[in-house]
Amino acid sequence: MTLSLDRRLFLGLAGAAALIPMRARAAAPFAFQASWINDAEFAGYFLAADNGYYAAEGLDLTYLSGGPDVIPESTLITGRADLTLTTPDTTIKAITEQGAPFKIIGAQYQKNPLGVVSLAKAPINEPKDLTGKTLAVPPVNVISVEAMLAANGIARGDVNIVPYAYDPTPLIRGEIDASVDFTTNVPYTIKLAGEEATSFLLYDHGYPVFNDTVVVTEDVLTSRRKELVSFLRASRKGWEENLVDPAKYPPTWADTWFAGTGREIDNEVFFNTAQKPLIEAEGGIFAMSEDAIAANIEALAKVGIAATRDHFDTTLLEEI
Amino acid sequence: MAIRAIIALVLWEVVGRLGLVAGGALPAPSAIAIRFWADRGDYPMHVWATMQGAGIGFLIGNLVAVLAGVLFAVSPVAARLARGVNIAIFALPAIAIAPILTLMTTGMTPRVILAALGCYFVTMTATVTGITQTDARMRDVVRAYGGGRMASLRLVELRSAVPQILGALRIAAPAAVLGSILAEFGGGGRFGLGAYLIGSLGRADPARLWGIGLAATLLAGIGYAVFAVIAQRMTASTVAVTVAATPPAGEVDGPVWQRIALAAGSVLLPFALWWALIAASGAPAMIAKTPMALLDYLMLPNKAGERIWDALAQTLPITAVGIALGLGFAFALALGSVLRPGIVRAFMPVALVTQTMPLVALTPLLVLIFGRGPSVILWITVSVTFFPAFVTMAQGLQMVARSALDVPRAYGASAWTVLRLVSIPASAPYVFAALRLAVPRALLGVMTAEWLATGTGLGNLLNQSRGYLDYGMIWTVAVLSVLLSVFFYQVVVWIERRVLARLGMTTAA
Repeated sequence: MTLSLDRRLFLGLAGAAALIPMRARAAAPFAFQASWINDAEFAGYFLAADNGYYAAEGLDLTYLSGGPDVIPESTLITGRADLTLTTPDTTIKAITEQGAPFKIIGAQYQKNPLGVVSLAKAPINEPKDLTGKTLAVPPVNVISVEAMLAANGIARGDVNIVPYAYDPTPLIRGEIDASVDFTTNVPYTIKLAGEEATSFLLYDHGYPVFNDTVVVTEDVLTSRRKELVSFLRASRKGWEENLVDPAKYPPTWADTWFAGTGREIDNEVFFNTAQKPLIEAEGGIFAMSEDAIAANIEALAKVGIAATRDHFDTTLLEEI
Repeated sequence: MAIRAIIALVLWEVVGRLGLVAGGALPAPSAIAIRFWADRGDYPMHVWATMQGAGIGFLIGNLVAVLAGVLFAVSPVAARLARGVNIAIFALPAIAIAPILTLMTTGMTPRVILAALGCYFVTMTATVTGITQTDARMRDVVRAYGGGRMASLRLVELRSAVPQILGALRIAAPAAVLGSILAEFGGGGRFGLGAYLIGSLGRADPARLWGIGLAATLLAGIGYAVFAVIAQRMTASTVAVTVAATPPAGEVDGPVWQRIALAAGSVLLPFALWWALIAASGAPAMIAKTPMALLDYLMLPNKAGERIWDALAQTLPITAVGIALGLGFAFALALGSVLRPGIVRAFMPVALVTQTMPLVALTPLLVLIFGRGPSVILWITVSVTFFPAFVTMAQGLQMVARSALDVPRAYGASAWTVLRLVSIPASAPYVFAALRLAVPRALLGVMTAEWLATGTGLGNLLNQSRGYLDYGMIWTVAVLSVLLSVFFYQVVVWIERRVLARLGMTTAA
């Protein structure tokens, strides 16, 4: 009895002293920072966690929720998370301008869900319709919108860009003509308020970039490569299963993942359904094809972000 | 009173039902109640999370504050040395350091720190005041029986400071709630009223925003009420509800070199603390900027200076206008309350609600009503500066000596003449006290509005820099806004000393 206690104590101390080798044999702790509050945007991870796919890969997953004021990349730098989801423009800007040691190892959204959303009764169907209109844009997306305008030959001064705080109220009340938001989500909210929404993607009009790019630090990339591949594999499995029937799983998370968000389950089903074509990829979920990477680099160059092929690392995807 | 409240509620209901304010941005009380009932399952976990952050911060902040207060009361040298730190804590706009706290620390820590900072100043000054105002005869008794400084402190001074400290705790409780919610805004985490509010901003549902705002107010109000009751039970006396805006002076009568050394130390101490905290945190240099690293950043050819000037040019004028409007309005109403004392009584409940309503909960509601233009910044600035200023000035005017008022009255002066000749000049110390109180609050209000609503000025620069991972800029804006706040505070103090010296008056708390 004493012996076993002592042994346990000894092992504990040894484990604390040599943290990494000891834990590698047991489940490896792995922290994932999401980029938004718990909604359908992360359905694949919820499912993978609930079904034990991470555990089966030997990962002890810590899921950190995001929100409008969480800057995902910052949690990587402080070492609070091993992996996060980002917008490629801010990540690559941070690499090139701040010397941040990031690598993009996958992309959740092949097509960025960001789009120009307007009311069906006063529709804005393509970039040209924006001339002379007031467009609300989240501060961090202004450069993307400017790129889209430039690609369509619209002068920046012809569109009145005001800040947007992810609140569709001004659009519904007609204070603004359109807003830039996730087209997978906000049309539902607008519908609840008794209006019909229409939208087009920035992706389809001169700004073909990914979104929710999977990002890690170079340090984690070298030291935790095995865990990263495990995470991608388990997550892909979760996403594939979730997208088979987008209406199936969101209701089961009402009291767990979605508790306290104040959002309706119907909203999540709408979101999950709308995001399916934006996530699915020929090379499997998270894939980054050479063509797509080239398109990203070209589009980002137009907004003065000097992305290179180097910033993307596709080798982990090959190992899944 | 009850009838007036019912009339107000009925009016609100009618206005809300008809959607009279800004196309339905002000929902009827019944609509808010229905929404609240529908959301009732969400509230407990959010309220609990906010209470935890606020509660732990309240405990730590007040404990530190009482200890610091005792130290400053006993040692003028310590008070003089800490003056810079004290003013910085008093003046710092919490929203400017919230992003830094959430970068440097995790989990509940940012909430606890901001809540503690919100409590510190008011309790610290109350402790110092309480101890220094101890009846000298009671001290003499202890000394006559051979008791030393410590015995006097323990047996007499701390006890006589209790009513003051309890009075401060009343104000500290809502401040802790505000601090916790502010940190939730930038801190991630699933639960907390701030997290709930931010998640609900995009729901086009004014009734829920009002529900969360009112819940936050209620939480802060309960905190206030609990300590008001405790104070009444324990001391059977009440202390005036003013917010202190003067750090302990710590007058030291030493040689000139000693006074200069203390003054220099007081200025350098905040920077030394900043440095030490960064060294202790062990955060990577990319995120944690020391004073030197910040200077390096500003030397980079990244147009940082230009962006800061542009932001300042937007933020400062509107802050000044907001302060002028808020104080002017407060002064007018305070004067009015001398002529008609009923005004104070009618306004006090409103004052209490707006003082306890956390600023971050108030902002989205004002945005719903006033939109996202400069007017919303002014409304927010006026609402955060008006009530504390009004309370301070109204109490000041009531303290004018009867005999001074009786002189012109005896000569048949009208109420207005009495005001002009006696009350207005006599209120000068309170106007300055209100101004000292208003400056940091106004800056906090303006920056919050810029961050959440208008996308202009320093607040927006801070928010956008977070998005671009521009850590140098985040630190620059945070440090700059604290320095600005301290600078304007000192300017007010400087003018105040000169004006009051000429009028032959002393400063008000």
